[in-house]
Amino acid sequence: MSETSPPQHPPSPPARSPLAKFPSAVRAAHDRFLNSGDIADLDTVVIAVVLDHQPTHAKKSGEITAPDTARLIADLGFDSLALAEIVFFLEDLYKVTITNEELMSITTVGELRAFVRAKVIAARPA
Amino acid sequence: MSREVFITGLGFITSIGNDTAAVTASLREGRHGMVPWDYCGNPNVPIKVAAPVRDFVVDSPSWRDWTWPARYDIPRETLRGLAPHGVYAFCAMEQALADAGLTHADLAGGGTGLFCASAGSAFMLHHNLAQARASNFERGNPMGVVSSIAGTLNFNLAAHYGITGAVTGFVSACASSSHALGYAIDEIRLGRQERMIVVGAEELNADTLLPFAPMRALSTNPDPATASRPFDTARDGFVGTGGATVIIVEEASLARKRSARVYAELIGWGQASDGHSVATSHPDGAGLREAMRRALRDAEVTPEQIDYVNAHATSTPIGDRAEALALRAVFTEAGAHPVISSTKGLTGHGLSMAGAMEAGFCALAIHEGFTPGNAHLHTPDPTCEGLNLPHQSESARPALVLNNSSGFGGSNVCHILRRPC
Repeated sequence: MSETSPPQHPPSPPARSPLAKFPSAVRAAHDRFLNSGDIADLDTVVIAVVLDHQPTHAKKSGEITAPDTARLIADLGFDSLALAEIVFFLEDLYKVTITNEELMSITTVGELRAFVRAKVIAARPA
Repeated sequence: MSREVFITGLGFITSIGNDTAAVTASLREGRHGMVPWDYCGNPNVPIKVAAPVRDFVVDSPSWRDWTWPARYDIPRETLRGLAPHGVYAFCAMEQALADAGLTHADLAGGGTGLFCASAGSAFMLHHNLAQARASNFERGNPMGVVSSIAGTLNFNLAAHYGITGAVTGFVSACASSSHALGYAIDEIRLGRQERMIVVGAEELNADTLLPFAPMRALSTNPDPATASRPFDTARDGFVGTGGATVIIVEEASLARKRSARVYAELIGWGQASDGHSVATSHPDGAGLREAMRRALRDAEVTPEQIDYVNAHATSTPIGDRAEALALRAVFTEAGAHPVISSTKGLTGHGLSMAGAMEAGFCALAIHEGFTPGNAHLHTPDPTCEGLNLPHQSESARPALVLNNSSGFGGSNVCHILRRPC
């Protein structure tokens, strides 16, 4: 009698960054934003989070962009739960709070981007 | 009730292998899946052995942290609604569909149904509830409910695969996926569905397994080579395992029309309840005895025709004894001496998954031509007197097989499988 192969271990996962599985350029942009507050870096992260949550079945082949005019539900294939996931993800990442009413008012990528900018800048220490 | 039911596809993610070839080899060679195991980083926990699934990491409440074999493509929108054991189930499902030569398109149109069984994910439920409570239930994982409650398998798999026939889940603890398979047989016999997909899956983690420790149902034996030893006098409880098994069953004419490979025919099933105790078996195995007799009647076969019995025996003192007595009443007293074994000596106990996993093993035994033995059985309990319990697997191909399952509350289910003509 022998074991079939080594077991998976350890049982408790190490604490991981929410962006651990994002491309290194996105993680670098996140770090730069936290250090310098450059809005372009924040936009990079928000767009990457949107694309990461986009349903695979809705992605057109080769499409890796989310232009400002793209509607999250009608164009990018999101449902309301996936939108809630994006919001909670960004809340955790930037320690901000977004209400349901605020969430309901967002329909396009551009609106989401502008909204997160305003929220995050307001929450940053002066 | 004349419609025949064939098993045409199998998928396994188990402690003894992640495909039919590996599982078959482990069953033939008596290779077990038990290892020393630290459930939660607490050295005072007295449970030291488990039978984990290899090549998956699903020990985080966040799907972003999970990894699984690269050959399985799980889209994000499906992944986010899955429990850890849902990842096992998804992979076993992909395997079974490929094994049966089916595509997603074959599952459309309402002719295919889906019956699933798991206890849900206590791990995810625990995490999600703690997070939601801390935020006054204003926020948390939006997929928290569908990824954690019992039913998570059927919610997710039906949606992902576009299954529009009969879809539901079964909850009878360790008989759950055996109930799912039994009722799947009925769906086909009654002409309601032409194809049924049966899924059993569970997680191996502290939240699912360790609540069995205060019941004294888990083995405290620290030796992986002997902790799970069904029917042995020295047995002291079961060893936990997780994983998933998927069984695809089809009405015979559909299987023949598409020239499907047939593992085995399901020719009957039976169930009966102990009506005795919420948590332990009837001391004489009364419900299991009756369930076996009902299955034999349904299949129109006699005890002496059965070549092999895959016992439920989990390695607990009370349960194994009750099953041994039930087996003696049904078989020994009728002058029948089938080979009997509990494959849980190799796999550990997969709870809701156990019945489907072991029905899958029975189908492999019939198709591949072997009879599983009783790993780790050295000194059979005296209550097993007269039962044929070989230690090693044998090369004999069984023609008729009976598969037993028992769950909490005294639910007992038996299936009978036959070598296809």
